[in-house]
Amino acid sequence: MKDIFHSVKLIEENCKGCTKCMINCPVEAVRVKNSKAVIYTDRCIDCGECIRVCPYNAHVAEKDETFNIENFKVKIAIPSVTLYTQFGDYINPVIINEAVKSLGFDEVYDITYACDIVSEITRKEISKVPKPAISPFCPSIVRLINESYPELMEHVVKVLTPIEVAAYLIRDKYRKLGYNDEEVGVIFLTPCVGWITKIKNTQLDSKSQINGSIAISDVYSKIIKFINKNNKNIDANESASMSCTGLRWATTGGQSFSMHIKEHIEVDGVKNVIRVLDDIEKGKFDDVDFIEAHACTGGCLGGILLVDNPFNAKRIIKKYCVQLNFTNRFNRINEKYQKDFLSDVYTKASKGLRLADDFESAVKKMKYMNEIINLLPGIDCGQCGSPSCKAFAEDVVRGFSTLDECIMLKKGEK
Amino acid sequence: MHDEYIKLHYDVLSGDYIRGGEASSSLKKALMQLGINNSVIRRACVGCYEAEMNIVIHSLGGEIEAVIYKDKIEITAKDRGPGIENINLAMQEGYSTASEEAREMGFGGGMGLPNMKRSSNNFYIESVLGEYTLIKMIINID
Ligand SMILES: Nc1ncnc2c1ncn2[C@@H]1O[C@H](COP(=O)(O)OP(=O)(O)O)[C@@H](O)[C@H]1O
Ligand code: SF4
Ligand SMILES: [Mg+2]
Repeated sequence: MKDIFHSVKLIEENCKGCTKCMINCPVEAVRVKNSKAVIYTDRCIDCGECIRVCPYNAHVAEKDETFNIENFKVKIAIPSVTLYTQFGDYINPVIINEAVKSLGFDEVYDITYACDIVSEITRKEISKVPKPAISPFCPSIVRLINESYPELMEHVVKVLTPIEVAAYLIRDKYRKLGYNDEEVGVIFLTPCVGWITKIKNTQLDSKSQINGSIAISDVYSKIIKFINKNNKNIDANESASMSCTGLRWATTGGQSFSMHIKEHIEVDGVKNVIRVLDDIEKGKFDDVDFIEAHACTGGCLGGILLVDNPFNAKRIIKKYCVQLNFTNRFNRINEKYQKDFLSDVYTKASKGLRLADDFESAVKKMKYMNEIINLLPGIDCGQCGSPSCKAFAEDVVRGFSTLDECIMLKKGEK
Repeated sequence: MHDEYIKLHYDVLSGDYIRGGEASSSLKKALMQLGINNSVIRRACVGCYEAEMNIVIHSLGGEIEAVIYKDKIEITAKDRGPGIENINLAMQEGYSTASEEAREMGFGGGMGLPNMKRSSNNFYIESVLGEYTLIKMIINID
């Protein structure tokens, strides 16, 4: 089986088998086997919840080590909009970008420009998918829909994300300057593991414009040192033309705000998103125009690879909006871009929850599964290493667990 | 011929807005586990949910049975009354007698029965005033 890549890794020697991750995983992708957590990779959506809840730092974000920045002639960084919120106050974006450059980049791309383009295109594309349209931005949410709500995939708006649009524009520019694509390295500074995974996986599909990603938390201390050293030397008049609508993409609701969409639902946290998706599936929300869903609480500001408290970061965004008070306006987007910025939302035909490849075998397994469920006490004690009695029954018919792992059944036999 | 099938059964309580929707959620999960195709899942889910919520909102309680075959899904919803006086009227888009409470919770758009009909290949409704309402939906799997 071709496995897709994931960015959540388990350090076995740290794991004490405490079951916290198993209980908290919103998609039931974690089991505990022989007192160690095991992630079922075909279910994991890279939301990072296990990293968040693990008391022993056993779940960690895996670094993207597929690239070596030194191999590129020109090195361009695309910082996530969240980066600008991480320093406890309004800091002139010029100095933050200089700090990023000092990490070894030649250019730092202003992603808020790409955000504004995407807002404009999305507004037009929303009507081309069934209501309610769903934002394609958060990779963990798109993965969740693909795995557990495949029939809702057609609701996902078919537009590239600002990160991909930024990469496209950068490549376009350097091609015109006479560079080969291989000479240009485009690196995303990411707030979350979801993006590390998405970038790595699109590279496997070999059409990615982005060469890799770096966790913001990994470069934070260098950036803040640079800022502290140089902040006073900067000319206050020299200011980046960042847009505040673009910056708001960092928060839940920022996309809808930038697109002026009135009838929208903004939701964050995987469990909350699941409640909304469940309702869409039942035919509710047919009158809602747009669903803006983020895996992380607070939107990308809640990303696991950021440093500052997301709610404080939100306060800082407001400060930026006061200072910048600027939005890129695109009266007309050039036709080529309008077309090139559309996307086939990343999907990989998934086996999803299927018990077997053919109907007859699946029915047999389901009958057996239901028999097991009737045997089990239904107390979801977790001792078997599955998150619930129902999940355990499913694990047994899938061959991941054996019935004798249930201590309650064993007791009953005596 | 149809010896391979899965039968699911749910009791639906009158006025239970909180748990209402569980039948269609578990039906959806079962359909996914059986590998049924996406658009069929969507239609079954919508039809089942509307039937389920009608039992919650308009009836004294009842039950839903779903039988999944290789080539079709049969959903049967039966309640214990009060029945529907004028079925033709009830079938009209926008017609609703939902209570104030139900409306406050976002129900009562009068689209439930029409949506059930639209979602299924075969739709049957029968009702005896003072006794029961029975709905049968067949959704073909192609
Ligand atoms: N199970 C039922 N028992 C009694 N009356 C029903 C039942 N289902 C539907 N009805 C009647 O038919 C009407 C239309 O139903 P429906 O199309 O689902 O719209 P809504 O549920 O929004 O009112 C209801 O308002 C109610 O008067
Ligand atoms: S909400 Fe933002 S930070 Fe969190 S997983 Fe999605 S894209 Fe990443
Ligand atoms: Mg109804």
